[in-house]
Parts: sequence; structure tokens; C-alpha cells
Amino acid sequence: MSEPKRLHPIVIVLTIGKRIKDFIFTFIALFFIWNKGDGGKLLLFGASAIAIIGIILVSILSWLRYTYRLEQNELRIEYGVFVRKKRYIPLERIQSLDISEGILQRLCGMVKVQIETAGGSGTDEAEAVLSAISKEEARYIQEYVAAAKNPSVQEDIEYIQEVPNHTVYKITTSQLILLSLTSGGVGVVISAVLAFLSQLDDFIPYERLFRGVEQWAVSNMIIIALLVFVGFVAAWIIALFGTMLKYANFNVTKTEHDLVISQGLLEKRQITIPLTRIQAIRINENIVRQWLGYGSVSVESAGGSASNKEGSKVLLLPLVKLDTIEQILGQYLTDYQFTSSFTPVPKRAMIRYIFRSWFIIVPIVVVSIVFLKVWGLLSLIILTLITFWGVLKYMDAGWSLEEQQLSLRYRTIVRTTVFIKRNKIQSLELKESYFQRRKELATLEAFVKVGFGGAGGRVIDMDRMDVKKVYSWFSREAKIRD
Amino acid sequence: MILEPQKRISAKALTVWRISGAIKIVISWILAAVAIFFLHIFKGPFWISVLILGIELISTYFIIFLFPSLRWRCWRYDVRDEEIELQEGIFIVKRTLVPMIRVQHVDTVQGPILRKYQLASVIINTAATAHEIPALEESEAEELRRFISNLARVADEDV
Repeated sequence: MSEPKRLHPIVIVLTIGKRIKDFIFTFIALFFIWNKGDGGKLLLFGASAIAIIGIILVSILSWLRYTYRLEQNELRIEYGVFVRKKRYIPLERIQSLDISEGILQRLCGMVKVQIETAGGSGTDEAEAVLSAISKEEARYIQEYVAAAKNPSVQEDIEYIQEVPNHTVYKITTSQLILLSLTSGGVGVVISAVLAFLSQLDDFIPYERLFRGVEQWAVSNMIIIALLVFVGFVAAWIIALFGTMLKYANFNVTKTEHDLVISQGLLEKRQITIPLTRIQAIRINENIVRQWLGYGSVSVESAGGSASNKEGSKVLLLPLVKLDTIEQILGQYLTDYQFTSSFTPVPKRAMIRYIFRSWFIIVPIVVVSIVFLKVWGLLSLIILTLITFWGVLKYMDAGWSLEEQQLSLRYRTIVRTTVFIKRNKIQSLELKESYFQRRKELATLEAFVKVGFGGAGGRVIDMDRMDVKKVYSWFSREAKIRD
Repeated sequence: MILEPQKRISAKALTVWRISGAIKIVISWILAAVAIFFLHIFKGPFWISVLILGIELISTYFIIFLFPSLRWRCWRYDVRDEEIELQEGIFIVKRTLVPMIRVQHVDTVQGPILRKYQLASVIINTAATAHEIPALEESEAEELRRFISNLARVADEDV
């Protein structure tokens, strides 16, 4: 496929829509400035007409100028209306291939292909976006890219189709429902608590608390709480359906060198991640899911850009029982070990974890007790919760070291476990503050390349000797120097 | 046990840091003078002026004298065949290990003060992070840059 090809003309409509969306605020501003008198109206009409015609023309031109071709193991894109640009992407540098179908594309039977490389060019989009090409075309590119990465089968592209695809994971209906139910259910809990508190009207004299300042608000406390609650429930139900639509038909297969993830009911997406491009694997468990023994697994790849985070952090198993992860992924991601036993941080670190969680909350508690007197004591409840959270953080922190793999576990709000291969770590950091040194503790942080910037894992207050152990494990010359 | 990195940065860095500290302090003194002036005009409480003066005096000592020398004493680095190791920090000691094969590119940066003293900073970039070695001798920085980029090029391991 060496002759330059154009995208489907539906792209013109897409571009016009996007440009008008960008301009809409200017239009609105102009509307308010010039919408005075007849002259102003004429000016407004003229300017809008010119702008719209300009947008349409530029969109058509940019469609005409946008061509792509596959040549000499490179994807070559040429585009630009006034300034002509060429972008050549070596196929073996491609980090991931993301195929999605928006509603417009679907109407024409087209798909959108986003191609990510490791280079963070600082632009908003992926390195290359083919907004609308036919499905066959997309499959052809996919196969071509796969073949380019694996020269042994390059002679015969057709052969690739015969490689058996193993289904790694397929979401079941009950999992989909559980996934939707447990994602972001915190808001509901909070508003339920609020509604409950409003029932305590008899015990807590809100009137005296707010003393007429918001008489109305106080007397209508229950209604407000109810409204808030209804709002939360509505938002939650909408989010629930959104999640369901997004993750319906979720399905992961493994081809010879790639993981292929497809998902979505209305808007279909298909993401291809080369196995060798996986930088790290992460398990996230929010509190509800952790309590049920579930978590979600995502792979992090080096592709992706500032606005397209999905290109770099891809959900691999949206919801899975933790003890089955090894069973599901173990045979496909053979490099990774998911059943590590984690070494916890030492007991003497606990007090530091608790103190750290107190930093912000203690002044608030003190202030509210000083000013609100007895009722300020209620803030002690928050203090208890925060302390509990600090203890949780302490209990969850841990690390584990295999021959070629570093696993870190820590909690921010959700519990995160990250598995990183030694040769994917970009840099490793050891930090000790004065107080940590007195307790023989240190913080360990590992950075991997994920998407636009870096990400990784950090475990605070590990035993100093343990950090040193990981440090010399990572050092390529520690053994020589010893 | 791992040895700590051995190399120190140029002793001239001290002078540079003192100068740039002095510039910052001069600016903060000007701001403080303006603040005290207005406090005087609007008959603000006297103790605030005293407090501002006190803070200014202490930070002058800290920023021009204490911090640069502490910082210089704490800064160590080592560039070896297979990795770069950095150590910095006064209160929080931070040690960083960057494998040579992960280095993407190396920059040298030179501000006006650094240039006057023939110094330069070297910034080592990996795909995910950036690490700065401040205030090296110009020749050393240049040599280091070349050394690192040669070594980094040898390693043909991709992200």
C-alpha cells in the first residue's frame, strides 16, 4: 500500500463540527458586543457568515491535503493547508493502536484509528489520527504494523490472520452490573449520610448552630438533603448507564505479540497494545471493591498524550476477583508474577503514617473546637476517620522483589498495586528525611514512562535496609563495587 | 552496602548560588521596605514591622550563607559506565539512580551568572523524568554530556 490515500469525506463534517465548537465562544462574545443597532447586526451577520464559510473551506481543504500511506515500514502522513507538514512514523516505534467508532463514523461504516508512539510531542492528540477509514483498511494497517514489528512473518501478511487468537477475558453480565454499581458510589453514601444527619434534628440544635443566619436553609434542611440525595442518585444512575455502555462487550484477546481490547456498545473501541510495550501493570481496588475482594487491572503503555490519557492507561480487566488475576493473566503475561507476597513496612512506621494524615486535619479540629465550642467536638469524628485512613495506608503499604520485577503496594484513596519489570524502570529514587533517618526508614519511588509524562509507584517509610536492597537490585554496578 | 556517590560539583557553585540568593534577597528586601512603609503610613501595628524585619534578617543569613554551603556539601554525583547516580538535599536526602540505557537525551543549560563563572548545568532526560546536575565546570559539563550521549547511544534498548 504505497499510493497515498485520503480519509472518508465524513471527516469534513467532523472537522467543521470541531472548528465551530472551538469558535462558539467567540461567536457568543461577538453577539453581545455587536448586537446593538442595525449596523451592528449586519456586521454580526457578515462576520458569522464569513467565519462559517471560511471554516467550511478550510475543512474541505484540510481533508484534501490529508493523505496517508504505508511505505518502507513507515506510516507517512502529509497534511496541512497553509503550512504543509509531513509526519513519518517508523512502524516499529508504534506503542499502541486504538480503533474507535463514534456515532458519525458508525453511520458511514468507518472507524477512527489513533496511533500512539512514545514521543510526547506536546500536542493534544495522538501522534497520528486517521479520523475515518474503512474497517478493512484499519485491519490492514493493524496487520501491516504487526508484521513490521515481527520481520519473520513479514513475507506473508496473510499468515497473521491464521494465528489463533486466545480470548483472555470476557466480561460477564453480572460483572458488568457489579462494575457499574461499584464505580464512584461514594457520592451516594455521602448524601445518604447527610440525609441521615438531617433526621437527627431533635438531637442537634441546628438552629442554635446557625442562629437565624440561614433560617430558611435550616427549616428546610430535610428537603435540601433530600434534593441533594435525589441529585446524587440521578447522577449515579446516569454514570451507571454510562459505565455500562462503555464497558459492554468488554473483551480481551491475545494475538501473537499484542493484547487486543475491544469494548463499547454505542461507541466501539478497539485498542491494540504490543506486549513488549507494556511498562507496568497496575491493580486498583477502591474501598467497596476491596471489601468485596475485587479490583481492576490496567496496563500502562508508553503511548498516549496529554489529553488522551486512555491511550496510555488502558483498563485490561475492569473488574476481577483478586485471586483469579494470576489464573487469567499468568499464562499470557508470562514475564509478570502476580502472586507476590508483600513485605509490609515496619511497625515503627505506623505512627508516622498517622501523623502525616493529621497534618491538615488537626489545625481544623483545633480551630473548630475553639470557635464552635462543644459542637466543634463533632470534628473529632472526622479526625477519627482520617486516622483510620492513615492506619489503612500503613497496613496496605508494602513491597516485593522478584528477580526481574519490583512490586509496590500503597494507598492514596484506592489501594494500588503496581508491578514493574526492572528494565522498564526509568529511574529509582531513595529519600530519607531527618526524622526518617532517626527511625531507620526511607521512601522508595520508581518511575516508569507512561503516556505523556511519567508515573510509577511510591512506598513511604519502608525499612531503610529494604530500600537499600531494592536500590542495589536496580543498580547495575552495585555488585561490581561491592 | 552501596557506596555513596563521590564526585562533588564545582566549588564555584557556592559563589553562584550566593549571588543568585543575594538577588532574590534584594528583591524581598524591597518588598519588605514597601510593606513597612505602608504599615507606617496607615499606622499598622508596630510589631508586624519588627516581625518582617526579623524574618528578612534570618532569611538573608539562610539564603545567602547557610543554604548554599549546606547544599554544596550535600550534592554528590557519579557518572559510571552503566548508570548515573545523584544525591542531593539538606533535610530530605534524595538519591536517584538512572540507568544509562534509559537516558534519552542530555542538555546543558547556562544562565548569565553561570556563564560568567564558566559553569553549566547538565540536565539528564529519561523518557519519564528529568534530572539536573547544577553548576559544573563548563569543560566538565561538556565532557559529561558527550560521555553520556555516547554511552546512551550504545544501549539499543527501546522504551
